[in-house]
Amino acid sequence: MRRPGRRAELGMQVLWILMGSTFVLFGCIGFLLGGFGLPRINRTDLLDLLLWGVFLIWQLAPVLFEGYSPGLSFREIARYPVSFRVFFLLNAAYGLSDPAAITALLWLLSFWLGLTFARPGWAFTAALALLLFAVFNLLLNRIVIAQFDRLQSTRRGRERMVFLTFMVIILLNLLQINASYLTRVRGVKIAPWLSHAVTEVREFSPQGMAAQVFLGSGVAELTALAGLLLYGLAAYLLLQRQLRVVYQGEIYAETYTVRRKKKVRKGWRLPLVDDVTAAIIEKELRYIRQSGRLLLQLIYPPIIFLVFIFNGPVRKLPLQPVWMLAGVASFMLLSLPNLAYNTFGMDKEGFGRWLLSPPPLQKVLVAKNLTHGGLLALVYLFFLVIIMAMFHLRATPAITVTVAFAAALVIQLGTGNVISVNWPRRVELTQMNSKMSSQAAGLVALLVMIPLSMIVGLITFASWYWKVTWLPLLCGLVILAISLKLYSFVLDRVARYAWEHIEEITGNLSA
Amino acid sequence: MAEIVLQTLALRRTFGPLIAVDNLDLRVEKQQFYGFLGPNGAGKSTTIKMLTGLLRPSGGQVRILGRNLATDSAEIKRRIGVVPEGLSLFDRLTGAQLLNFVGRMYGLSRRVAAERSEDLLEFMDLKDSADKLVADYSHGMKKKIALAAAVIHGPEILFLDEPFEGVDAIAATTLKRLLQRFISHGGTVFLTSHVLEVVERLCTHIGIIQNGRMVASGSLEELRNGVKIAGHDHSPLTLEEIFLQVVGGDRQNAEVLSWL
Repeated sequence: MRRPGRRAELGMQVLWILMGSTFVLFGCIGFLLGGFGLPRINRTDLLDLLLWGVFLIWQLAPVLFEGYSPGLSFREIARYPVSFRVFFLLNAAYGLSDPAAITALLWLLSFWLGLTFARPGWAFTAALALLLFAVFNLLLNRIVIAQFDRLQSTRRGRERMVFLTFMVIILLNLLQINASYLTRVRGVKIAPWLSHAVTEVREFSPQGMAAQVFLGSGVAELTALAGLLLYGLAAYLLLQRQLRVVYQGEIYAETYTVRRKKKVRKGWRLPLVDDVTAAIIEKELRYIRQSGRLLLQLIYPPIIFLVFIFNGPVRKLPLQPVWMLAGVASFMLLSLPNLAYNTFGMDKEGFGRWLLSPPPLQKVLVAKNLTHGGLLALVYLFFLVIIMAMFHLRATPAITVTVAFAAALVIQLGTGNVISVNWPRRVELTQMNSKMSSQAAGLVALLVMIPLSMIVGLITFASWYWKVTWLPLLCGLVILAISLKLYSFVLDRVARYAWEHIEEITGNLSA
Repeated sequence: MAEIVLQTLALRRTFGPLIAVDNLDLRVEKQQFYGFLGPNGAGKSTTIKMLTGLLRPSGGQVRILGRNLATDSAEIKRRIGVVPEGLSLFDRLTGAQLLNFVGRMYGLSRRVAAERSEDLLEFMDLKDSADKLVADYSHGMKKKIALAAAVIHGPEILFLDEPFEGVDAIAATTLKRLLQRFISHGGTVFLTSHVLEVVERLCTHIGIIQNGRMVASGSLEELRNGVKIAGHDHSPLTLEEIFLQVVGGDRQNAEVLSWL
């Protein structure tokens, strides 16, 4: 903790906790008001929607936010002399330490308080319903997390997981885009079958059942309670089945078929780079290919962009192509920290191999940066071609934005190198709870992007004010030259720092 | 006089108030099989890290193949091979990809790296697992692939930190065969090990370190002549007896564990 790096990391953690607490607090107020207000205005039919909110945060947040849940391998716990009953209870109870679970429980409590203030007669039945609902969510969350961990353990599983997460994100974005479209268009009629299906899902979901327990009366209340109990029982049995296999020593290792190959294939040869650099790029790309999350972050921007531009109403927005390209460039630069801000993270103990090998660390960093920068540049090029072809973007603004993108990329990569040696973090490709970079990295990415955006804004304003159209390009070229010079300076400093702190870095990257 | 390929002069490393290596003077000649022994925490791994450039010495000098490690590290690294503590493997590459990659990092052409990877996989009996991720290798297989990675570029000196730790008899035999072959072709080996029988059988020279200081060094014969144990019969001392005598490791009181 004596080192500035560690202090920054702690500071960042405190900041995240403060931001998270604010989010949770506002959520609590919202649930309290919702639980109180909806019955008072006789819109009890909407109460289950609040429970959907709880359900989504509890189940999706740990999956969508990488490295966010606390990590404890229950495969290790199974090695201790604990009975299966204790093992099961430990696993379930451990789910309560997940930030999503804590958030959801606080929201449920606020919701219950709101309901009790509004209708004191509901206090007991609502408490019972929400408790059962919470137990169901807790068990389901443990099943989901264990299933994702299992998927992460094999190459094919990781690919499936990328696809699954990708589809969820796309679906959410499509819903969001179309929801904003529907709010602007009057007279849209939803197909009766769809409306009916939504009603059915709401009614028979655990959320709907939980609401029915305190909203309904007599048979309806008992039926809902029985339904909720059934959901809980099903989750309990599923989790028990899943955990029993782990308890009995199942290892999710990569299945492997022995194939006797005749020859070891030669390594890659790449244009414009020497053999050592090509070897490092090959290794980096092989690693990235195995990281579903990184792949997702690379594929995500172009797909969302395509959804965005091919979406009818959005296409009619008066957005200039140059700003579209600039927006895309910024979006991509913000996704860079996951790739480049913990450049040795996936290497883990392999970091020592870079130090044992003859090429200087500067060369290794350049090769890694070429890989990460090259990947981003390829995606950017894809956007550029589409925007130029579809929106008739002229060459001069296209070159200007590209130069600015290149300059920002160099600055981001250099910053990434500094962060990588100051806050290295071991990345486990096979674990859900493994973060791709340190928390401080996110803050630094923003600290780099904000002044860069301000500079771009100033240059754009000056160009518009004085009507000097060539000014942005000239400034972009100057900034690019300066950033390249700075980058070479930073590289030497980073390499020297790494050598001076070998043990600390190796310690952070080792198990 | 034999060529000195490794020499340290008053090598020292401290961690705060702890002196891990204290004015260590080492001399290893070409084609020697040098076993560097010591009890846990004696400073063996710290020394080997300093010799391979993984740790900066607090004082003193390391000279390898006539060059100063502090000023000529790139050239020295090109001529040595290392199996470090923890192995430092890129475990998300397959065995074949790893060897290929390491070979190219040492400047081998794509063709030579692929050919040597093939040969080493064959020799190490890893051919069937060539396309398997190193992460899924057993401990012994990892040791073998690490040794293969250390020799792929044809080094002149090999530094091995506990190469036989946790390795079964079959894997150990493969490793020993490779090391003997390496020595017979002019190489030099510097290894640390806790397996004294292996050291006794393989090493031509031995150094024993304790509390960061060299307490005994020389050939096994020289060590035998230098150590006298009261009441010992006339049969030659084993390395284990010499080791225990030198580091004073026979003082444990079994009575402490009377409950066991």
